[in-house]
Amino acid sequence: MKDEAENVSDGSSRRNFLKKVGVGVGAISVTGIVGSSLLKGNEAKAKSGKLVKLLSPEGKLVEVDQDDIKSAKGIQPADNETVEQHKLEARAGLPNRKFAMVIDLARCKNARKCVEACQEGHLLPKDHEWMRLYLLQDDSTTSKYWFPRPCFHCDKPMCVSVCPVGATYKRADGIVLIDNQRCIGCKFCMTGCPFSARVFNWKDPEVKVPEGHVYDPETNIPATEGTVGKCVFCADKLRLGELPRCVSACPMGVIYFGDILEDTVTNGNETERFSKLMTDRAGYRYREELGTLPSVYYLPPTQRMFPVESGLEDTDKSIKDRYKKVGPR
Amino acid sequence: MRKKIIYAILVLSVLPFFTLRTFGQEVTKITPYVTLQYLKNSESKRILQTTLTYSKNRMEIPLQGMEISLFTGTEKKETIAHVVTDNKGIAKFEITGDTKLISDKSGAWTFTSEYNGNDSIDAGKSEIVIKDVNLEMSLTLVDTIKTITVKATVMENGKEKPAAGEVVKILVPRMFSNLLISELTLDDSGSATAEFPSDLPGNKEGNLTVLAKFEENPVFGNVEKSETLKWGLTTDYSVPKSHRALWTKTAPKWMIYTLSVLLTGVWGHYLFALISLIRININAKRKAREEYKI
Amino acid sequence: MEADRKLITDLTPEIEKTSIKWYITFFIFLAFFAVGIYGLYQQIDKGHIVTGMRDNVVWGFYIVNFIFFMGLSYSGALISGVLHLFHTGWRKPIIRMAELITIISLIIGPFFIFFCIGRLDRLHFLFLYPRIQSPITWDVIAIITDLVGCFLYLYLSFIEDFAILRDYPDLKVAPWKKKLYKTLSLGFTGTEQQHKILSNARMVMAAMVIAIAIIVYSVLAWIFGVTLQPGWHSTIFGPYFVIAAVFSGTGLLIILMWIFRKIYHLEEYITQRHFVNVGVLLTVIAAFYGYFTFSDYLTKWYGSIKMDSILIDKLFTDYYSLFIFANYIGILLPCIIIAFPKFRTIPNITIAAIIAVTALLVNRYIIVIPTLETPFLPIQDTRPDWITYSPTWVEWSLTLAGVSVFAMLFMLVSKIAPIISISEMQEKDKNEIMK
Ligand code: SF4
Ligand code: SF4
Repeated sequence: MKDEAENVSDGSSRRNFLKKVGVGVGAISVTGIVGSSLLKGNEAKAKSGKLVKLLSPEGKLVEVDQDDIKSAKGIQPADNETVEQHKLEARAGLPNRKFAMVIDLARCKNARKCVEACQEGHLLPKDHEWMRLYLLQDDSTTSKYWFPRPCFHCDKPMCVSVCPVGATYKRADGIVLIDNQRCIGCKFCMTGCPFSARVFNWKDPEVKVPEGHVYDPETNIPATEGTVGKCVFCADKLRLGELPRCVSACPMGVIYFGDILEDTVTNGNETERFSKLMTDRAGYRYREELGTLPSVYYLPPTQRMFPVESGLEDTDKSIKDRYKKVGPR
Repeated sequence: MRKKIIYAILVLSVLPFFTLRTFGQEVTKITPYVTLQYLKNSESKRILQTTLTYSKNRMEIPLQGMEISLFTGTEKKETIAHVVTDNKGIAKFEITGDTKLISDKSGAWTFTSEYNGNDSIDAGKSEIVIKDVNLEMSLTLVDTIKTITVKATVMENGKEKPAAGEVVKILVPRMFSNLLISELTLDDSGSATAEFPSDLPGNKEGNLTVLAKFEENPVFGNVEKSETLKWGLTTDYSVPKSHRALWTKTAPKWMIYTLSVLLTGVWGHYLFALISLIRININAKRKAREEYKI
Repeated sequence: MEADRKLITDLTPEIEKTSIKWYITFFIFLAFFAVGIYGLYQQIDKGHIVTGMRDNVVWGFYIVNFIFFMGLSYSGALISGVLHLFHTGWRKPIIRMAELITIISLIIGPFFIFFCIGRLDRLHFLFLYPRIQSPITWDVIAIITDLVGCFLYLYLSFIEDFAILRDYPDLKVAPWKKKLYKTLSLGFTGTEQQHKILSNARMVMAAMVIAIAIIVYSVLAWIFGVTLQPGWHSTIFGPYFVIAAVFSGTGLLIILMWIFRKIYHLEEYITQRHFVNVGVLLTVIAAFYGYFTFSDYLTKWYGSIKMDSILIDKLFTDYYSLFIFANYIGILLPCIIIAFPKFRTIPNITIAAIIAVTALLVNRYIIVIPTLETPFLPIQDTRPDWITYSPTWVEWSLTLAGVSVFAMLFMLVSKIAPIISISEMQEKDKNEIMK
């Protein structure tokens, strides 16, 4: 892994990738275009010759070739080299980072915004939930609580250990990803993962992928029949320095995310020291005894902001039905 | 008579469609939110940042690629620039020495950001009044305690005055956001001090950035002062060079050894069996030849 | 190499002529096979959604069949290897069958893995990007090793017979078969030296086949054992699977003995003595197998870690009848039938064997499925097929297709080669005459 990390540089080729492939899902990004032209200096001027004056997000007046704007809208086919280069980057991970998530169970009320944002952001079919919401009760004497479960991006990931072809892998920044173009669909990782974090594409996903989109393990778009998918910690967003989709979507600020090496996590509004959260709120990891060393931490549901039942109020019947039989186990 | 009734029914049944259509048009016209912020960073660069968004299902959605005009002055407005919003609905403009700004008597600037609207989006605008503040920060070691001192002065009617009673935040920028260290209220002399924690991780060399900031101050806007120094703990980023584990690319050595030993053992015996087969064949051929000779 | 005509006609009943019955049976099996192919087509066309597998129970009937067939194979190898190595006198008429079980189920087994894999088109990735850490890679290596080993072993035991068939003057077979025998016999003429080389090689391969069978089946067991899933994560799984495999293989051997004896009128060669001997073997193995089963569940039940007790609860409620059948009736009944000399008739022993084999198949099922239905985080879903697994017609059809292929391959082999080793029987006759 380390070797791979050495021959890829941090951001620049990602920007190239963005520029050539088009930006993630859908959006045209003036940021991307201007950013890359700036990086490449005057190179961009050689194309159509028609220059457009634009203000870059940094507030500078720049001249951008018209072709570049078009390319972001119409998405050019990416050349193989860029794609391969990006695949290497996606295997290496962001240098000098180690990501972690902290989920505050005291604030969760099954608003399901995280699930929706994730499904929308990753073009998941309806029944595919990378983020799942459980209603747990440990014993009849203890209380129920809502339990959002992404992939834990374990430091000793059983799913990676058992994969026969290296389709799923652990990066230096702690993220566990799946290469859909490598996966043979043996489903061993699904039995390996003790947290049911993985979903299988039992049939063709039938989602509309933007035309010309190129597969990227960091988003796992498009899903392919016969392969496995799971939460990717929004590795594509992290590369741009943005928070994962579920974190920004949560109206209650339940999910904190950050670089554990910086000892800082944020839910978008509040920024806390990770170690302080852990000591003050008695943070823990789910089923520590299994020894997979998750990167996702939980804060126990103490002094709850909402009663548990409020989580069942505004939800669809089909969702409510899921929790009908919930009891101690 | 009957004809009339039918006619009336026809008209009545078509009518809802017309009304719906006109209603529909009105409903889809978006009311945007325009915000305007004044930012002054550590290098005294001044930036005007304006955003254009609208709200849908209680979610804030950016409006992208829209032209927004920035003005200065109150009664007599003067255009500073036209900017275009990016995919987050943000547009920025840097105020340089060439930018002509109109200040009022007390020395405050008024900035306006205006969006003219189009067929589907209403017009909108936002205005701020900013006083230029001078923020100073000094970082010193007092008896091994890392101490931050901030001081802020503001020019009022041509005289320098301490910015007493205002709140300054001490922050450390992190990957996604700024970590709050402390919130200081400036005293009468316009200064305040704070202690910096000793256990905050920095980078490989222990470097981190300390940032003093007026955040969304109604009078000063956003004004920053930052400095990078060795005030953090050193962080070890190294990944073991050849890390062999179950979840890495390369397997633990014992696994490779065991597998090789087992495989050589087994396939060695296969080889023996194969050789036996060949020997039988050779033997048979030789015998056949001998018999032929006889 | 002379052999008496009677022996050849008796032991190779299908080589010279093909009976109408043979054709009919073959076509019935072929029909099953065709249905299976259609099922497979559906699965490839529409995706794995046509199976009963879903996100919780990701492995279903296919894996059960895979373990089952691989188990048969390894046990065939074990039985024939052990019998050969210890020169068991009564082995001769049945050793060939054990060898055939080995090779045929070894060919069928992996196909069930292929059915289970989501992207068959990427199967070669197993060789392009292998990871030694994955038990699946171990299994791939192991199965290939085993396949080669078993073929070699089988071939060694066939050489003499091919030579006999080649040398027999008025064998009425098609010329291509004669030619085949000639090539395959490698010019073996039966000199003392050739005999020595051959028996040496057979000895070595017999020992190898035993070793491989144990290793390879343990590897298969570890696919389950290494995971953290309740019910699978058990140190006992390796030996437990090996014993279980031998159990099923011995049972199948008895069943095949009965079938062949009936169809090909081999009463003269396969006698009650053989049934009793293999039956006693079955009882001994059943005892071991029962012991392993008991100790596995006892420790889980007594220790009652939460997940384990949830699993055991499930086994004794939803899976009650299956559990009782697999782990009580399936073990005890065969033991009882064979333990009392009074009951030891050929039909009784065969019935005991049938019970044993089906019980083992069920046992495999309740090892794989209930565990997957009991994940650490409770299944909270409204779709019934996501909560409990039940095989669909596609899985059934492919399973039946597997069984039919098993039968068809047996039938095809019987057209080419003797189903009881002629050479060994000949030796036996000589020995008996000398006595
Ligand atoms: S939670 Fe499961 S899928 Fe995610 S890293 Fe851990 S073992 Fe793998
Ligand atoms: S299903 Fe895909 S990712 Fe999972 S273990 Fe198999 S090949 Fe690897």
